[in-house]
Amino acid sequence: MSEALWGPGARAKTSLDMVALRQAWLLAVNDLRQEARDLELILTSTFFSLVVLIMLGMSFSALGVSSQPLAVPGMLWLSVAFVGALTLGRIFTREREFDTLRALLVAPVERVSIYLAKAFVTMVILLGCSLLTVLGLTLLFPAAQPFADRPLETFALVTMGCTAYAGVGTLFAAGLASSSGKNVLLSVILYPLTMPSLLFALVATRSLLEGHESFTTYLGQLTATNVLAFVVGAWLFEPVLVGVPQKRRGAARAARRRR
Amino acid sequence: MKNILPFAMLGVAALIFPTSVSTIFLETPIEQQMGTVQKIFYFHVPLAWIMMLLAVVCGVSAGIQLRRDSKRAEAVSIAAAELVLVTGLGVLITGPIWGHATWGKAWTWDARQVSTGLLWLVFAAYVLVRHYGAAGSERLAAGLAIFGAIDVPVIYYAVKIWKTTHPSNDVAGSLPASMWAALWPALIALLLTSLALLFIRVRQELTDVTLDEAWISLDDAGAAQPATGDA
Amino acid sequence: MDDSPLLRLRGVGKHFGRLAVLRGLDLDLCAGEIVGLIGANGAGKSTLLSIIAGLMPPSRGERTFAGSTGVGLAERARFAVVSHTAQTYPRLTAIENLQLFASLREKAGAHNEPLLPTLERLGLGYAARRQAGTFSRGMLQRLALARALLGRPEMLLLDEPFTALDRPGRTLLANVLAQERDRGAAILLISHDLEALVSVADRVLLLEGGVIAGEVPRAPEHASFGPRVRELAGRMPSVGTEAHA
Repeated sequence: MSEALWGPGARAKTSLDMVALRQAWLLAVNDLRQEARDLELILTSTFFSLVVLIMLGMSFSALGVSSQPLAVPGMLWLSVAFVGALTLGRIFTREREFDTLRALLVAPVERVSIYLAKAFVTMVILLGCSLLTVLGLTLLFPAAQPFADRPLETFALVTMGCTAYAGVGTLFAAGLASSSGKNVLLSVILYPLTMPSLLFALVATRSLLEGHESFTTYLGQLTATNVLAFVVGAWLFEPVLVGVPQKRRGAARAARRRR
Repeated sequence: MKNILPFAMLGVAALIFPTSVSTIFLETPIEQQMGTVQKIFYFHVPLAWIMMLLAVVCGVSAGIQLRRDSKRAEAVSIAAAELVLVTGLGVLITGPIWGHATWGKAWTWDARQVSTGLLWLVFAAYVLVRHYGAAGSERLAAGLAIFGAIDVPVIYYAVKIWKTTHPSNDVAGSLPASMWAALWPALIALLLTSLALLFIRVRQELTDVTLDEAWISLDDAGAAQPATGDA
Repeated sequence: MDDSPLLRLRGVGKHFGRLAVLRGLDLDLCAGEIVGLIGANGAGKSTLLSIIAGLMPPSRGERTFAGSTGVGLAERARFAVVSHTAQTYPRLTAIENLQLFASLREKAGAHNEPLLPTLERLGLGYAARRQAGTFSRGMLQRLALARALLGRPEMLLLDEPFTALDRPGRTLLANVLAQERDRGAAILLISHDLEALVSVADRVLLLEGGVIAGEVPRAPEHASFGPRVRELAGRMPSVGTEAHA
């Protein structure tokens, strides 16, 4: 999609989007396959989630049942924020260690596919960790019982929350990885920008725990911010990573010459 | 002409500002419930509006910067982001003072307070990335500014929803017309000052770019000579 | 295809702040030639490669590949880059590494050579099922080259391709590059190793001070160039011809 806006890929937009999606799927499967072979991300992120969970349990075990519904959502999404920053940093450090991101950028791969694939992988890993956190919170805090009682809603909520985080985070983690930037900047950028999505997630979680009707409304709003984050992220990915070609003339000519 | 403009704006602001202050303190009635401290409203609200405006200016110019690879837009974007920090600081200082007097608490997690704080953090991140990022991070920073500007309404809405699940403080109701009338001169004075500062800062950045270019072309000329002489 | 060069750089400059890396550089690369580009560390070789590969827009000047200034999907399907870093996924086997890029190319509508023969051509057939993480630097370099050759690129860009290779590896590389040249590919080799460049390239250009400072002559006695070129030429051994054997 960004190709159609910025670059000289002078083909029909629909076929272009299909190319991007197919390539994104290939890249995502490739990442997951590598992950399945060494489990590095899954194990470190899961371990980190456990550590955060234990820290939360120790810090808030004395909390009364009445105040727990106010605290549990915060615990869940803070944990997502921490684990998410770690996961994103690691995913792109790995790309940078072997410089594979550059190989993808010079290959005939839609840039937006790279974005979508990385966001998807981040989302999957983050989702796994968050479900673990949810499980742990349910065991530790009685007020978190609705998580277990309404598993479908919980799953939808956690998925949407993680998606929001991945959508915003992938753009900036990739940008930092390609500019040989400093990873400390990732947290600096990530937390302020993901705050609105996390706030929506927080509100939705609270209404879920309290059994409010408004849960679906909040979930819808969270989904809307996700869509916004993904559209903007996909749109900005190529300009942020490689910049735009200064001139576009000659593009159509080249496209015609090409078969 | 272009050089005079910002200083002319500062001059006009300097004329308006004293009259505005005298109107605010001497002619406008003292608000019944809040008392004299409500006067801070005339500075707080304009600053908040200007901050929002600058945030949008920063986001839009960052978009042009990315799209056109424009140094001019980049300069505007940098200047606007820094002024968001300055005006934002003003908002974040005056707000709690007012809040302390009216609500008895400086920070009440009011939707506007939190969203202003978040927005300020986003642009602080922008300035940090610009200063400490490696080469190429100017595009990253631009992406951040665009996200930040788009976030303005989302943040506000998110915090508002988040707030409804908290016990809320009622903000002072509608103000009489005389108070609104006193607001406009203050707004104009502050807006002119901010825009003048924006122009000056943009020009500074552009001068920097010009200097870099001059340096480079001088460097080019120096480097080209032996090469052509030899070949 | 007409006679105009496949890759044309005109007045390409790149600066980072006040640091000028490239200063109005002109370069033509035609189909069926191997051009070597030599330069000291920090001469701007990698920056130039990034600009040619479309990873970085030039600060000024124009880069044209096959008549187009753009670097869209269609253009990227027509050239390939071998970086000095191996750029392979260590957890994937050699053949999987190739397979990934072949599938990505396929989805973009580009053609691919058969995978295993390409690996065998670079002497990696025996290691096709081994994970790239277990490869030596030289093997990774050859794997990266195999990946680049997948799409029979019209233009091949190589950044320091000799560093990790042993003697037989260099000979292999030289032979493969000569074959690609004869097929009609335009090849740009970037290195600081003059001896290796001269043995492979049809002409060797000196990148210095951010411009092409001259052409390194094939034989030292023709050194009517700048002092820097003469100095380089003086250090140059008798020209190796194994590449064309």
